[in-house]
Amino acid sequence: MLLILDVLTTAGILFVVSIGLLAVFGVLKIINFAHGAWLTIGAYCAVIAAELGLNPWAALPLAFVIGAALGGLAELFIIRPLYRRPLDAILATWGLGIVIGQLITLGFGRDVQMTPNLFSGTVEILGVDYSAYRLVALGAALVIGVVFAAAMEGTRLGLSARAVIMNETLARGLGIDTVRVRLVTFMAGAGLAALAGVLLTPLTSVDPNMGVGWLIGAFMLVMVADASLVALAVACLVFGAAQVLISTFVSPILGSIAIAVLAALVLRVSPKGFSRA
Amino acid sequence: MAEAARELEAAAGAALALDGVTSGYGAVSIVRDVSLKVAPGEIVALLGKNGMGKTTLLKTIMGLIPSRGGSVAIDGQAVAGMSPARLVALGVGYAPQEQPLFQDLSIRDNLRLALPSDRLLPGALDVVAGHFPFLKDRLAQKAGTLSGGEQKMLILARALMLRPRLLLIDEISEGLQPSVIDRIAAALAAVRGESGASMLIVEQNLDFALRVADRWAVLKLGEIDDEGPADPGARERVLSHLSV
Amino acid sequence: MPDTSALATAAPAARSSPRLSRAAPFVVAGLAAVALWIAPLALDTFAVNVLTRSMIYAMLAVTVDLLWGFAGVLTFGQAAFFGVGAYAAAMALTYLGADPVWMVAALGLAVLAPAVLGLAVGWLSFYHRSTALYASVISLVVPIVVVQLIYSGGEWTGSSSGLVGFDVLPLELEGFFRLAALALVALTLAAWIFVRSDAGRALVAVRDNDARCAYLGLSPKRIQIALTTALAGVAGLAGFLFANASSVVAPENAGFLFGTELVIWVALGGRGTLLGPILGTIAIDYLAANLSGDLPFLWQLLLGATFVAVIILLPGGLADLARRAWGATPFSGRAAFAPALAALPARPAPDASGAPLLKIEGLAKSYGALTVLENIDLEIRAGELVSLVGPNGAGKTTLMRCLSDGTEDFRGQVSIGGASTAGLTPNRIVALGVGRKFQVASVFESLSVADCLLLARASNDGLSPFGRAETLALPQAALDVMRMTGLDQMLALPTRLLSHGQKQALELAMVVALEPRLILLDEPTAGLTKAERSTIGAVLKTLTGELGIAAVLVEHDLDFVRQISSRIVVLHQGRLVLDGGVDEVVGSELVRTIYSGGSHG
Repeated sequence: MLLILDVLTTAGILFVVSIGLLAVFGVLKIINFAHGAWLTIGAYCAVIAAELGLNPWAALPLAFVIGAALGGLAELFIIRPLYRRPLDAILATWGLGIVIGQLITLGFGRDVQMTPNLFSGTVEILGVDYSAYRLVALGAALVIGVVFAAAMEGTRLGLSARAVIMNETLARGLGIDTVRVRLVTFMAGAGLAALAGVLLTPLTSVDPNMGVGWLIGAFMLVMVADASLVALAVACLVFGAAQVLISTFVSPILGSIAIAVLAALVLRVSPKGFSRA
Repeated sequence: MAEAARELEAAAGAALALDGVTSGYGAVSIVRDVSLKVAPGEIVALLGKNGMGKTTLLKTIMGLIPSRGGSVAIDGQAVAGMSPARLVALGVGYAPQEQPLFQDLSIRDNLRLALPSDRLLPGALDVVAGHFPFLKDRLAQKAGTLSGGEQKMLILARALMLRPRLLLIDEISEGLQPSVIDRIAAALAAVRGESGASMLIVEQNLDFALRVADRWAVLKLGEIDDEGPADPGARERVLSHLSV
Repeated sequence: MPDTSALATAAPAARSSPRLSRAAPFVVAGLAAVALWIAPLALDTFAVNVLTRSMIYAMLAVTVDLLWGFAGVLTFGQAAFFGVGAYAAAMALTYLGADPVWMVAALGLAVLAPAVLGLAVGWLSFYHRSTALYASVISLVVPIVVVQLIYSGGEWTGSSSGLVGFDVLPLELEGFFRLAALALVALTLAAWIFVRSDAGRALVAVRDNDARCAYLGLSPKRIQIALTTALAGVAGLAGFLFANASSVVAPENAGFLFGTELVIWVALGGRGTLLGPILGTIAIDYLAANLSGDLPFLWQLLLGATFVAVIILLPGGLADLARRAWGATPFSGRAAFAPALAALPARPAPDASGAPLLKIEGLAKSYGALTVLENIDLEIRAGELVSLVGPNGAGKTTLMRCLSDGTEDFRGQVSIGGASTAGLTPNRIVALGVGRKFQVASVFESLSVADCLLLARASNDGLSPFGRAETLALPQAALDVMRMTGLDQMLALPTRLLSHGQKQALELAMVVALEPRLILLDEPTAGLTKAERSTIGAVLKTLTGELGIAAVLVEHDLDFVRQISSRIVVLHQGRLVLDGGVDEVVGSELVRTIYSGGSHG
């Protein structure tokens, strides 16, 4: 039972961390290596919210707005000029991540920050005591996934974004302002990353480089999902399960590289990953 | 400046005026020095074998491929460098040939995507229903599940929704059976009758093209090879350019 | 726009002083080695210490530059190979000691272990239809895995604190400086000679156009795997030097972050220039050592911001600025190299009476529910020029693809000279004697005309890794194509400056230079002028009529088809509807209706 809960909550956390990267990759066909930095920005929004004496949950909307606004600037000045050089975009966003990490260090110092717990204690589920916050995080993953899917399916902008994912040339030929779709998508992806950063604060220590550790896992999951939300959810479940099981039964160190190694092997066998399965 | 002014003057009075248009991909010029006019309310058929630059010319007019030289004017206004979005706002409708539909989206969503705002949808659906009533009854159906003929009608309906003043239509008759071709020909005639729209239609089907068009032009190796009115002698003259 | 006439006139100047230009790199390398040998006398201990490390890092930068700047593989993995080499050396020295024998063993292990890992990584990263992005993904995973293995190595690897205090080479600080300097100069010289050799052209060719490489009979993946393996070994050598010079190794030496730092140094210095990344690495690492003590965060911030700006605004790095400045000086007349052309002895014309050269039986292909080709049977003999015609979507290009790539998913049998092509990658089908010319001219945009032809001969004649061949021997037919189109006067010209028609002709010459038995041509005249078309037509008639080569031609221009074909095959909606002589097909009512669009549905 404990294992099942671990798998589900791990998958939920991975999903929350990856979904912003997925949105950007799907529409812009660019890998945002500053994604980790946006997770960090989100976590520091929680720090700021605490310093301002706000309710810890108020950090979520704050992080989304700040993350999206900074994402808009990044899209305008860094992503847009590199739209036709996707490998260079990886490098430039990585450089941007360094800059953001150092700016945060200059502002807050390099020490680990304390953030208020969003939700503490344990609850008993089917005879097991389990961390309440991990369950909240799983719930948050479900809510974010559903809201994101609803926005993609139900809104005009979501429809345009899907059109750009499916066939950008046709979308442009029909008069869709693809430049705007890319900007808004990047802002949404950055906002979601910052949101995920807030949700991570009770689970990891908050420091200027906290995002980097999550970046590679999220990146590999998105590669395997190939711009499909459903495939991302499946990938999070499968690889999350692998990570938990290997960590529990083999070794925690091997568990920590399970996602990267398994995803690389899956991509070798099927370059489209889980999206065609 | 003087040259630009002269070009615009020459374009005045035409719904579409191409003057010396050259374009292509990479280092390759597919379309070379094409000059062509479509008068208001006129239908011009652009004919020619495969690979002669017809589709490239339409894409260039639509702003999907940057032109390398020459000018494109719509209703006397120079439009080179404008985005497709602005051309749609100016009243241009486009029915592409290659991958023309979002196969996994519903008919409704395919139509919505060609509108600048969902508020225009009810009116647009009325236009669609006027020409092809079956589409309005099956809005939730995925475009990819339509038959070939139904897909072509959806592509045309989508281009007609905003009541364009100028229609650019790429091989709408391709692969269709005669009854569907008749419906499409009727729709084009009706549109011209109602709104006086001008059309530039790229065609492989000579009989269909000469039936709906007022004039024709043959494109060969990216250049206009011959042109003339769609009169009884046109078929033989065009065939002499097309067949082996 | 570069001035083409200047390039053309510069070519003879190059040949007038070949000996001088060939000796120049050795002279420069010798001077650099001497200067670095005496440099420790003028430097303080801190500088000697830091620069030793910087020069070892610069060796890694050279390997990253060869992979990324020249071969186009963006890699973060060199850090892992460096780390494996350093750990192999450190572990050998810790547990075996530093006797001369064990020292040699440590060196061997430090090179071999990463090379074997590199071979495995190369095999994983590069395969038929692999993408550049996938190789980069793998290069990210490798350092992460290596670091975790180091962590899990417990006492053996020292886990997170690494290994310290093992015995090292018996050298002083200055000695390690000189050793690193010599290694760097030697590596740079070797890399310099290699990238300017004939074999070095193959790296650029794989980067520019790996499909074309495969269709010239070269195996892009084998080149990429070999390069990855060799450079992993070099990175291991650098790791050996590092372990000895610092007598400490730590997990972060193998980490992904160090891998990204290497890429940043190379990008700032100027990818694809060798000297740019070396100077960039030394300058940045030295500055970092001096500044990061006082302004650690500001320094990183500055470096990160500069990196972003350089990637966006100056993709060629700082070396590009230097080159532009140099280009403005009067000394900049860099001579372009071009070999002299020679003719290969003619091969006897193949026997036209024997079995069919190409035999297609029951070929069918579908994408999901959509059937593109159905039940195609066709035989083609030596000396025939068969045109494949039919409207758009008839399946012509798909058929060409099935003929030239046995890994395509199709049903039925294709055999060339009796050998089945099932499962064969394009380069192996080329070895059966098939040349393919693509619809859009497919040449190597950053290479010269002569280099393109050199690569076309590489699968037959090999490539020298040490220098440039003085003469380039081509089959007479390829020379004829060159002469008829005037390309023989443009050997030193970069192909990106050629007109579209010249590129088409060059690609044809490259395919002919393979000495194929069968040529597949996909719209060789698309986008050409009338004069260019008739030249190509004449070439094709000679190839088939006089040399006995068989040709399959996809073509839309039916006038052209009528003039040159010996047979015409009509495809319509994926089926072969007509196969006959020119007059028979041209006069057919069926063809007339297909082309007037009437027979659809």
